[in-house]
Amino acid sequence: MLQKIYDWVDERMDITPLWRDIADHEVPEHVNPAHHFSAFVYCFGGLTFFVTVIQVLSGMFLTMYYVPDIENAWKSVYYLQKEVAHGQIVRGMHHWGASLVIVMLFLHTLRVFFQGAYKKPRELNWVVGVLLFFVMLGLGFTGYLLPWDNKAYFATQVGLEIAAATPFIGDQIRTLLAGDPEIVGAQTLARFFAIHVFFLPAALFGLMAAHFIMIRKQGISGPL
Amino acid sequence: MHRGKGMKFVGDSRIPAERKPNIPKDYSEYPGRTEAFWPNFLLKEWLVGAVFLIGFLVATAAHPSPLEQQADPTNASYIPLPDWYFLFLYQFLKYQYAGGDFIVLGAIVMPGLAFGALLLAPFLDRGPERRPTRRPIATGLMLLGVIATFWLTYESVSHVDYEQRSEQYGVKEEGEGPDINTDHPGYAVYEANCLSCHGDTLQGQGSNPSLLKTEKSVEEIKHIAKNGIGNMPSGVFNGSEEELQKLAEFIHSAATGGGKGGEKGSGGEGEGGSDSGSGH
Amino acid sequence: MSKKQVSRRQFLNYTLTGVGGFMAAGMLAPMVRFAIDPVLKPSASGEMHPVVEVSKITNTPQRFEWEVKQQDAWYESMVQKSAWVYVDKNDEIVALSPICTHLGCVVDWSSNEQYPDQFYCPCHGGRYTKDGVNVPGTPPTAPLPIYEHKVEEDMLYLGRAHDRGGGV
Ligand code: HEM
Ligand code: FES
Repeated sequence: MLQKIYDWVDERMDITPLWRDIADHEVPEHVNPAHHFSAFVYCFGGLTFFVTVIQVLSGMFLTMYYVPDIENAWKSVYYLQKEVAHGQIVRGMHHWGASLVIVMLFLHTLRVFFQGAYKKPRELNWVVGVLLFFVMLGLGFTGYLLPWDNKAYFATQVGLEIAAATPFIGDQIRTLLAGDPEIVGAQTLARFFAIHVFFLPAALFGLMAAHFIMIRKQGISGPL
Repeated sequence: MHRGKGMKFVGDSRIPAERKPNIPKDYSEYPGRTEAFWPNFLLKEWLVGAVFLIGFLVATAAHPSPLEQQADPTNASYIPLPDWYFLFLYQFLKYQYAGGDFIVLGAIVMPGLAFGALLLAPFLDRGPERRPTRRPIATGLMLLGVIATFWLTYESVSHVDYEQRSEQYGVKEEGEGPDINTDHPGYAVYEANCLSCHGDTLQGQGSNPSLLKTEKSVEEIKHIAKNGIGNMPSGVFNGSEEELQKLAEFIHSAATGGGKGGEKGSGGEGEGGSDSGSGH
Repeated sequence: MSKKQVSRRQFLNYTLTGVGGFMAAGMLAPMVRFAIDPVLKPSASGEMHPVVEVSKITNTPQRFEWEVKQQDAWYESMVQKSAWVYVDKNDEIVALSPICTHLGCVVDWSSNEQYPDQFYCPCHGGRYTKDGVNVPGTPPTAPLPIYEHKVEEDMLYLGRAHDRGGGV
């Protein structure tokens, strides 16, 4: 049955080469922890991806209850955590996942760095990787505000002050982020929400696609 | 497969009509002990992934994600703290030559240089050597950066009492949290003199400590109420000696646990306030 | 490639799908349960609200209004409710919801001169007899819902409106 569907689609789309590109390749000995246990360091990239998938899914589900509005944001978070079935777990996945993804990214970056895996011909992939790191930090910063509790509010205020320290255009950057030159409030929350759920994820997906295409194209770096 | 002249297509499309069978390559000829990614290697990876996921789910179920009280921009005593992965920067800015007048240096120039160097690492470290020991400068700088980040993070949290924070800033549940006896004759005196600083349930706020765990005796409390202590000014209490006695007894009884339930006899529910929100 | 190898590969494929399915389920189960929670929440028990003194109720339907506190997740508000209330031939109190079962307009008693003894819906000309049953040939296909009611100390209390189903 499945085979028939596959053949039907394959006849029309010729997906076999695509499938081979994605799934059908060899895993060299030096990255396989089954042969050399120390090769587990190669798993950090994949684990980062896994946690990223968890983040995206749990985030999508959280927006079914969350409202980005200073009157209701906190209440909606409180409600979804306390009153909705499994709310604690879904919010927990997103909350703790955000920390876990940073840990995994950090370990992945260190693996790539100390193995010198960023050297020719993989320079561009390293640059894309660091951009991914920045995007993740941006997601962390904007997401921190969304529950609109004291911790969120005051940490964001500090963050905005730091942004405002930029020479010449600091005040403009701050206003751009906060939506108002002085207030951290309704507009800030709306903006942070938009950045957190639309702009940065879009950048994240684009960069991840570039990252993976380059990995498949170049293959994993050889043994040291 | 036929390519070039005479190639056949599916209908008027550009899809070749000849089907290639989807037979996996045989990797046994490759050097070393290679393995097919799909399904052999992926299966092992996913088994590990499944264990990882279970651990993660158990952790989320066991540790409710924190939610503090709703943002109150007028709360002047709140001490902000960023998420842990920004702590290193937060701490860095506390130093004399990185913050204050030098904020541009600390917030923009130095992190800019560090992260810029990280971004451009492949173009700064261009030699062919990959082993960390063969490129001591790159390795050394990275180690330095990592150690500095860890150290700064440690410095910034070593003074933070997260438990106390969550107790102080967390959401107070009904039936949970400090259950003080508002019927005690000393409560009204507390309300009139001390509540504005030490909170409506003695929980403290900002730098004003909680009174729930004070080990001071009734006499000492009376003394402090009149003469202050530390940052607490003297003369906060103004009332009769009788009221002072009631006040001190009230605080003492709340701190030693006698305040719970009280004559209302509502005991049982309040499991203490240290843990905001578990068990729901 | 020998036959045996293919079947080993197939076995691995099945196991892989199984493990993948397990992971997907582990991730999605809490999220899906979370998303469909509103469907599974027990509906709020029908609280009764005082509406009008029994002495004011006549044989002719009158419209009475009252307010209920509505808890919409984290949002609390007062919403207005209304009912057409009268005493029928058996001295029973009848309270009908004024919401037309066609497309939800608000019906009126005897507002159409041609049908003085019927509820009339101005939107598409839907009509109901006094007991709330829809008149065949007009747009509505079900009778007006009836409110649960009780009388206590000469006060009429109304609860939730129930669909009667059926219809003509
Ligand atoms: C969302 C974030 C990221 C994801 C999902 C991700 C995922 C991956 C995966 C699955 C691999 C294959 C090898 C492995 O798992 O170790 C890889 C390789 C690589 N990553 Fe990442 N990565 C991310 C961020 C980064 C960052 C922050 C950097 C560097 C600053 C980076 C640089 C690289 C490079 C240079 C390679 C090729 C390494 C080699 O061929 O040995 N990536 N990435
Ligand atoms: S809504 Fe009443 S007749 Fe259509």
